[in-house]
Amino acid sequence: MTDQRAAPASEPEKRHDLLPSAVDPTVFDETFLRQLEQLMLVTRKAVRGGMKGVRRSAKRGVSVEFADYRDYSMGDDLRTLDWNIYARLEKLFIKLFIEEEDVTVHILLDASGSMGTGEPDKLLFGKRAAAALAYVGLASYDRISLAVLQGRVARRYPAVRGTNRIFQVLADLSPVQAAAGPTDLAACARHYAAQLTQRGPLILISDCFDANAERAISELAGTRCEVAVLQTLSPEEFDPPLEGDLRLVDAESGSGVDITADLATIDAYRARLTAWQAGLEAVATKRRASFVPVPTTLPLADLVFAELRRRRVVA
Amino acid sequence: MPFLAPLAIAGLAFIPLILAFYMLRLRREERAVSSTYLWQQLVRDVEANAPWQRLRRSLLLLLQLLLVAILVLAAARPFLERPAGLARDVVLVVDASASMGATDVFPDRMTAAKRAAADALVELPSDGKVSIVAAGETARVVANEVTDRGRAAALIEGITQTAGKGDLTEALRLADALASRARGAEIIVVTDDAGSAAPDLRTQAPVRVVPVGRDRHNQAIAALSVQTGAGGVKRSLFVSIANLDASAVSRRLQVLADGQPFTARDLFLDPLTQTQVVIDELPPGTSVVEARLSALEPSGAEASGAEAAGPPDQLAADDAAWAIVPSDRLQRILLVGPGNVYLQNALSLLPNVELYGATAEEYATTTGLEQFDLIVFDGVLPAELPDKPVLAIAPPRTSVLGTVSGTLEQPAIGRVAPDEPLLRDVDLTRIHVAEAQRMELPAWARTVLPGPSSAPLLYSGLRDGLATAVLAFDVRQSDLPLQVAWPILVANLSGELLGRDASTLQPIKPGAPVELVLPPGTAGMTVTAPDGTLTELRPPDGGAATVTFVGTSQLGAYTAEPIPAPVEPNPSGSPGARATPTPSPSPSPSGSAAPIAAGQLRFAVDLFDLEESNIAPGDGARLTAIGGQPVTGGEAGIARDEWWIPIALAALALLLVEWLVYERDGARRIRGWLGGLGRRPRTPKGAAR
Repeated sequence: MTDQRAAPASEPEKRHDLLPSAVDPTVFDETFLRQLEQLMLVTRKAVRGGMKGVRRSAKRGVSVEFADYRDYSMGDDLRTLDWNIYARLEKLFIKLFIEEEDVTVHILLDASGSMGTGEPDKLLFGKRAAAALAYVGLASYDRISLAVLQGRVARRYPAVRGTNRIFQVLADLSPVQAAAGPTDLAACARHYAAQLTQRGPLILISDCFDANAERAISELAGTRCEVAVLQTLSPEEFDPPLEGDLRLVDAESGSGVDITADLATIDAYRARLTAWQAGLEAVATKRRASFVPVPTTLPLADLVFAELRRRRVVA
Repeated sequence: MPFLAPLAIAGLAFIPLILAFYMLRLRREERAVSSTYLWQQLVRDVEANAPWQRLRRSLLLLLQLLLVAILVLAAARPFLERPAGLARDVVLVVDASASMGATDVFPDRMTAAKRAAADALVELPSDGKVSIVAAGETARVVANEVTDRGRAAALIEGITQTAGKGDLTEALRLADALASRARGAEIIVVTDDAGSAAPDLRTQAPVRVVPVGRDRHNQAIAALSVQTGAGGVKRSLFVSIANLDASAVSRRLQVLADGQPFTARDLFLDPLTQTQVVIDELPPGTSVVEARLSALEPSGAEASGAEAAGPPDQLAADDAAWAIVPSDRLQRILLVGPGNVYLQNALSLLPNVELYGATAEEYATTTGLEQFDLIVFDGVLPAELPDKPVLAIAPPRTSVLGTVSGTLEQPAIGRVAPDEPLLRDVDLTRIHVAEAQRMELPAWARTVLPGPSSAPLLYSGLRDGLATAVLAFDVRQSDLPLQVAWPILVANLSGELLGRDASTLQPIKPGAPVELVLPPGTAGMTVTAPDGTLTELRPPDGGAATVTFVGTSQLGAYTAEPIPAPVEPNPSGSPGARATPTPSPSPSPSGSAAPIAAGQLRFAVDLFDLEESNIAPGDGARLTAIGGQPVTGGEAGIARDEWWIPIALAALALLLVEWLVYERDGARRIRGWLGGLGRRPRTPKGAAR
C-alpha cells in the first residue's frame, strides 16, 4: 500500500501494520484510491440515515432540492414560507426540501472453511474486495458495517464512517481466518438480519457452497436492504483439475465423496455448477438482489470498475 | 468344432478374474476440495465403503470378457476337416531360373510362384510332409519332409531367384529321388515352363504342374563380344539381339564404354528373329563395354510412339550385357641372344606384341630399355639385369636369377602341379631334353617344371617386384620347339610376365566358378562384384597358383585385384643388378596406357541364354508327361483348415474397440485441450472476464 498521503502523516508505521500482509500493496495505491473515491454504492431507494450525508433521505430537511409544499402551522420556520404563493393566493405554505443523509453499507464476508481454499485464496480475495467496497462507501460519507460469517453467527464490527477509518476496516479484516468447522450460511444471515437496524446496500461476499445458500439470500433480501451477492470461486472450482479414481474430502465437514474423474464427470460437474449458479441468480433476481459470480483470478480493479459497475452495484 | 489345443480352453478362468477386478473397490487417492456440495449431487460411485461393490453394467467389462473368450478360442486352435487334395508326401519344385523374373504377372513370376506354392500346400493332409526343391542354376533341397505348413511357407518365401539358367531336369531328378522314399508321393512343379527343351527323364511319382506366367514379350541381348582387327589395335563390338516376342518391336540399343554412354542405335526387331549389330571403333583404352536394351523414348514427332515401340519388355535380366575388352596396348619384347628362330617365331605370333632383337654386344650399348615390357635373354646374361620383367633361357652363369651348379644330361621331367597356370594346355608327355643347366631354386621363385634331384627345369616368381622366369635348358637342346606345346608355353609365359591372361575375356555364365590366376608374389585376390561387394580369396596353402571365385550370381562386370604378399627380407642383402637405361631417342610405344592396374583382372557374367530369355509360358503338359501314374487305393488324407486367423482378427478388432472405448475420454480431453488453448481460464456463463 502506497497510500501514505491518504493516511494521517503522524502514523505511517501503524498504517503499514494495519495492512493485511498478503494484500498486494499495489492494489491500494493513490491512483486506485482516487478512482475509488469517484464511486458510490448504488441505492435505488431513499432510506433514512443517521447523520448528514450526501444521499437523498426519506426524510424532509434542509437542502437545495425542493420536495413539496404543506400548510403553515404555528411554530414553523418563517424562512421556509413561500412568499410568492402568499402574494397570489393569500395563503401560507411552507416549502419542504429533501433531506440528505448518509446510509449504512453492510458488507458481509463469508469466512467459512470452504473460503480458505483455492489458489488464489478465496478468503483473501474476499477480504480485498470487502476493503475496496468499504473504501468506496467511506469515500461517499457512508457508514460501513462489516460482519464476518462463521459457524452459525455473524460477527459484527463497529460501524465506521470517514475515509480515514479505512485502516480500521483493514485491521478488522486482517486477522480473519477461515473457520475450522462447518458454517451454516442461512443461520449466519438470519443472525445478521436480526441485528440490522438501518437499511442500506448489503453486499455478501461468499462462495455460496452451502446447501442453504438460497435461504441465506432470501433472509438477507428480507431485510429490505439492496442485496448484492459476490460469489467468489477459484479457477479449480470452475475447472477441477481432477483425473482418476479419487476421494474428495470436504474442507469444512471432512466428509469424503468417491468419484471417478473422467471427462464425462468433469463435464457433468461443470453443467451442475452452471445450473446451481443459475438457480442462485434466479433466487437473487426474484428477491430484487444482484448476483455477481466472480473468479478469484479477476483483478480487483476490474471487479470494482468494470464488473460491479456493469451490475449497477456501484456507480 | 474340434480343437487342436483343447487345453487352452482353461484360459476361460480369466473371466472370473476380470469380474473380480471389476467388483473390487478401488483404493482411491484423497484430494481436498473446498466443498463436496456439488459433487454429491452427481457422484456415480458413492457405494458403501466395502472392499466389494455390486457389479454394474459396463461396456468395457463386456468387451474385455468377449476379448478373453475370443483369445481363448483362438489359442484352442479350432479347425474344420475336409478331404485333402494332395498326397501325404509331396515334393514341391519351385522354378527359380532367370525367366521367373518376368513381370507379366504382378509383381513377377517368382513372387507369384511362391504364392502359388504356398497356396498349393493348403491341400496337404494334416499329417502330410513336404519337401521343397529350388530349381536354380543348381537344384537345391530347401526343406526335407517338413510337416509344419507355416515353416514350409516361410522356406518357400526364402527361395531366391537366380540370374542364370535353371536346371529343372536336375531338380526333377532330385525330386524324384526324394519322392521315391515314400509310397504314393507326388511332385508338384511350380514353373513358367518356358523354354523348348523337355527334361530328359522319367519320374516314378506323378507330376503336377502349377503354371505361372502369361505373356512372352521379351527381347534379349543374345551375344556381346569385342573383336580385334587384323592389326591388333582396332576393335569392334558385336551385339546380337533376339526378339522372342511374336510381334515386331522397336528398341534402343545403348552402348557404354567404361560406364560412359558411347553410342546408341534404334532398332526395329522382327518377331522371333535375331539381329546382329556391329559397332566399330571402340574408344581406345576401354576396358569394359556394356550394352543395354531399352524401350524407345516416345518423341513429340512420333504420335503413337508407345504403340510403335511394341509391348514392353517383361524380362530385365537379359536386357544388359557386359564384355571385357582385351588390353589394346602394344607391348614390346626385346630378345637378347645370338638368334633363335623358334623363340623368334613363338614370340612374334603373340598378339599385340612387337619383337626387337639384339646381340649381347648390342645390348650392352642399348639405351631406352624402359620402353620394353619384357626382355628375353637367350643363352646370355648381362652383368647387370635390367629393371624389367625377364625371361632367361639357359643362363650361362650364376646370378640373382639362380645358381648354376653344372649341367644335367637328359633330365627327366618331374611331377607337375595340376593347377600350374604356366602349364595350362601344355602337353609335356612327349618332351625330351638333351641337356640343361643344373639350377638351384632361388627363394623368390616357384618350381613350374621340376627336374631331377630338385633341380628345376622351369621356375617363375617375383624378383624384387619384377616378374621373372627361368628356363634351364636351351630349347634347341630339346624337341619342345617342334611340338604344339611350345607356342602355348611361350604364350603362357608371356601372359604371366606381361601381366596378361586371356582366360577371363570370355563371358561367364551366372553361377559358374571362375578360376583366377594368382600373379607371382601375391597372397590372393579381392573380387569386387557389380554391386560393390568385396570378396577376398586366399588359397588355403601358400603355394597355390590359382583361386576359384564362385560368387558369380550377379550379372555384370567383376574386378579382381591381387593382394600383395607380405614382403620378406632379402637374406643376401643384394637387390640384384639394376640397369640404368639412358633416355632413348626412339618413339614412345604406340597405343594408350592400360586402364587396368598391374595384375588386375576383369571378367563379365552374362546370361546369354536364349532358352531362358524365351519366357513364353508353357502349359506344363510335357512335365506332367514325364511323371508316373498316381498310386490308387490309398487312404485319402484329411486336410484341416484352422480358424485362428479370422478369430485373431476379430480379437484385434475387439481390442481396438476396447481401446477406443477406454480412451474416448482421453481423446475428448485432448480435443478439448487443443480447442480451449485460447479460452483459458474457463469461466462460467455470466462470470466476469
